Amino acid sequence: MTRPQNLSGWLKLVLPWLLFAALLLLPATGPSDNIIRLLFLTAVWTTTGLGWNLIGGMTGQVSFGFAVFFGLGAYTTALFMQYGHTPYFGFVGAAAAAMVASFFIGLPTFRLRGPYFVIATIGVTEAVRVIMNNLEITGGASGYRITENKPFNPLEHYYTAIAAVALAVLVSTIIANSKFGLALRAIKQDQDAAADLGVNPYTSKLWIHAIAAGLTGIAGGIYARRAAFFYPGDVFAFSTGISILLMPVIGGIGTVWGPVLGGVIFVIVEEQISVKFPNFHLLIYGSLLIIIILLEPDGLLGLLRRLFRLFPHQQAKTRLAGDPG
Amino acid sequence: MKGRLAFVDTYIRRGTILGLALCGMAAFCAGPSPAFAADDTIKIGVVLPTTGSESKPGQYQKEGIELAIKQINDGGGIMVKSKGKKLKIEEVFYDDGTDSKKSASLVERAMSSDGVVAVLGGYSTALGTAESVMADRYKTPWITTGAGATAIFGKGYQYAFGSLSPVALIGTTTGEFLGSLVDQGKLKKGLKVAIVVENTDHGTDYVNGFNEWTSKHKGYFDVVMNEKFELGATDFSSILQRVKGSHADIFLSDAHLPDYITMQRQYLQNGLHHQMISYGARGPEANARQALGAGTDYIFAGIWWSNKLPYPQAKQFATDYKAFTGHDVDSWYAAPAYDGMRIVAQAIEAAGSLDKTAIRDALKKAQLKNSVLPGQVLKFGANGQSEYPFVITQNKPDNKVDIVFPKDAATGEPVAPIPNK
Amino acid sequence: MDAAEYLDLLLKALLLAGVYAAMAVGMTVVYGVMKIVNLAHAGFLMLGAYFSFELFNRFHVDPVLGAVTALPVFFLFGMLVHWVLVRWLPKSDTPTLASLLLMFGFWLVLQNLAYAKWGNDDQSIFTPLTLSAVHIGDTISIPKVNLVVFAAAVFCMIVLQIVFHRSWFGRSMRALIQNPYGAQIVGVDDQRTARLTFGLGTAFAGFAGALLGMLYSFSPDFGRPFLLRSFVIIVLGGLESVTGVALGAIVLAILETFSTVIPFPWYHQGWKTYYLPPSYQPVVPFVLLVVVLVIMPKGLAGLFNRKWKTA
Repeated sequence: MTRPQNLSGWLKLVLPWLLFAALLLLPATGPSDNIIRLLFLTAVWTTTGLGWNLIGGMTGQVSFGFAVFFGLGAYTTALFMQYGHTPYFGFVGAAAAAMVASFFIGLPTFRLRGPYFVIATIGVTEAVRVIMNNLEITGGASGYRITENKPFNPLEHYYTAIAAVALAVLVSTIIANSKFGLALRAIKQDQDAAADLGVNPYTSKLWIHAIAAGLTGIAGGIYARRAAFFYPGDVFAFSTGISILLMPVIGGIGTVWGPVLGGVIFVIVEEQISVKFPNFHLLIYGSLLIIIILLEPDGLLGLLRRLFRLFPHQQAKTRLAGDPG
Repeated sequence: MKGRLAFVDTYIRRGTILGLALCGMAAFCAGPSPAFAADDTIKIGVVLPTTGSESKPGQYQKEGIELAIKQINDGGGIMVKSKGKKLKIEEVFYDDGTDSKKSASLVERAMSSDGVVAVLGGYSTALGTAESVMADRYKTPWITTGAGATAIFGKGYQYAFGSLSPVALIGTTTGEFLGSLVDQGKLKKGLKVAIVVENTDHGTDYVNGFNEWTSKHKGYFDVVMNEKFELGATDFSSILQRVKGSHADIFLSDAHLPDYITMQRQYLQNGLHHQMISYGARGPEANARQALGAGTDYIFAGIWWSNKLPYPQAKQFATDYKAFTGHDVDSWYAAPAYDGMRIVAQAIEAAGSLDKTAIRDALKKAQLKNSVLPGQVLKFGANGQSEYPFVITQNKPDNKVDIVFPKDAATGEPVAPIPNK
Repeated sequence: MDAAEYLDLLLKALLLAGVYAAMAVGMTVVYGVMKIVNLAHAGFLMLGAYFSFELFNRFHVDPVLGAVTALPVFFLFGMLVHWVLVRWLPKSDTPTLASLLLMFGFWLVLQNLAYAKWGNDDQSIFTPLTLSAVHIGDTISIPKVNLVVFAAAVFCMIVLQIVFHRSWFGRSMRALIQNPYGAQIVGVDDQRTARLTFGLGTAFAGFAGALLGMLYSFSPDFGRPFLLRSFVIIVLGGLESVTGVALGAIVLAILETFSTVIPFPWYHQGWKTYYLPPSYQPVVPFVLLVVVLVIMPKGLAGLFNRKWKTA
């Protein structure tokens, strides 16, 4: 990486580390349990958003069914913990299970063009939900209750979540700045042209799908451990899949920090809406989506960039408009 | 503008925008205030779905709880010995939108930062189980007024209670009721039964309860079909075709309201008829009557409470409820919530302080003596779940409903077998 | 199960297919012309049901008449939605994320508005017709509502076919489906056609929703299971063909209905005949979708693709 040339460049390099340090040191200032809980939720959801962004934002393959990986991660972690393993091993297992599942989904669907992938993903979550509802081994429709014999330590969950989101940001940044990332963006813009240039769209899509799924799976596992209870109708819900993709879209699709911003907004809005306007949360999300799509497809980050002109638009920034699916 | 001035100006502009944005966010985020132990009220958390698929029952339960709170506050509040005076109840209500993630999250919020001394809520097994985790985690008493699955309780949880009798008892009571009809001679012995239940804990418990009864009373009934269906299915033709094919005499089901309506409609359209028919805990709901008219006649249900119960306190409750909310009590939902709040209030008074563990200890021993629920006493079992008898109601023509079982609470005679139109 | 029972189920499946087809055709048309996967379709279905419900409750309008009334009302509504929201979407050969999310957002808004107006109750339309059935012999009983609904759906599909093949509008639509750029060169006004198409698609959604409202109870969340079914039907039908939709609807309806009554052998401690448990029934449309995608991505109509370019 080259040395930053100007103030903006320095800020871009240093700010993330400052943020990370601030999050690590936050518990020392004695915040309320509620703040820790909210930050935990933000971190978990941001991780899923970052994961989705890798395949949906950078590569342009929109998946409405990322809840599958979230749920699989949850169940895998729960099962590992049930058999006496440490939860961290469970998280690794969650990532692995999600990755394997992503191959099963991607292998048939990535060969196709047009909206087939999208449509297929809508169905996948439903199908998995119904199957899990019937699988007695994992509790079926009653769900899974995790019992940990240690007392509840909110800070442990908090740090795990922060580690996960840091990992996700790291992975996203590395990919975004690598040749692989360029290949992905090429696929997003024009798959055939990319193929002509030597990129293998099929395998690239499979690999990035796996990485994205893995991150989402880890998030699912971390969430499951803290919530200590989940059931198919919750983790495999269509609305969960939508929430996951809402974050990058609202924050700034295709960028690294967009999903982070989106995640923060999402959790805050969810919390406040639940408390103050519970009757209107669908309206608020829907309107937000409509406004963003019509007025600022690059999401809030795009809006901020336009306001600030802080960071120059990179060559590789692409807009939502007119991209081949 | 050019040069250094421009540079400063741009950054001032950016800084102002950023500052304004942060202020806006902060205002929006004004989160819950730190948990000051409010000296003059007792905070009780209530987390129920008033939006989403379970919003109707959630709404009714909220009304039941609020009626109890109002009545207690009208009497001056709860006497707290450690404070030396009566304190009023302050309700901290959150709508969880029938989302179990939100439900758990909001209960956590109530218990950790809102400083409540107890939480009521958790309508439906999923929401109830999600919330139950928080009770022991934050050592705050939690009473579910809407979840009856036994799986939630036991397992050594110390702070979870439930004012709903176990769902398995519905199945057992159904067996008892049908058995009593055989004993009376209204039904023959050895009839075939087809059971089709929703694929949830509720459905499973129901079947287990019924099977438990039949295994203890051999020869009464023969279960020829036992299937589960997915909640929210729209087409039951194939299942109903199998029911027809099983040549059963009695049809038992356990379903949520929309599935009850759809299945019964298709049942009638297919010309099916059985000697007795039930949808578990569903039957007399107004929505169903409206949707199917006379098609719901003679359906019987095992429910936790009915406004036909002959107890004076039940009748008083129904009257007060109507005055408070402006509409009649619909089915059983509000009653366990109402009594759940009352028993919590009683426990707080017995504990003599607002210490959550003391309140929990008081709840373990508490007995609500003028309960509106069947049996007239509400108390919690060793695992935290209360257990009291169910009533069987049967829909009668012209929108009437009668309690037909047990005998001492009955307001009408059971009609068995159901007449063929 | 004997032959009469199978026949009974078959008849029911065919009747259901009629409604499914009417439901899916609205989405097909919009996709074909504008390449927009209309997720708000579910919302329009739901509104159609409530529209018919309101007419029935307030003015005692027969629900079938209500469904027919829904056609022009929703046509105008669809054009309005297009004018306000959809026309700003960038044009493309293939569906864009923007279009998906915009329609999805709109669906959420519709749900919430419906919820605010009608609450979360499960509503039904109950007429004297609802519970009566035509009985043939001992086993076969066809509910009268299903017959009525089927007839209405088929009638409308026929009207659509006529419009598609015999009118200027239909020709413009077909031109745009075949080749959007070529169509513009030849002089088709794509904005106007798009608006009319969206209106037509919405009209059919409202109509189908009203019909479905006669068969099932509905709440603001109504639409969602039908959305997936619509997708499956469209994919089966080839995404750009109206007759394909009819075929796809039949295949889906039959598969769904028979999936739990066809015995198949399975080895579990010995060979036994097994029935698919009813709780697995919702998986059927999805499995069908995947199979179709993998084996014949162009759908059923793709099999005849060389001869049938459109409809």
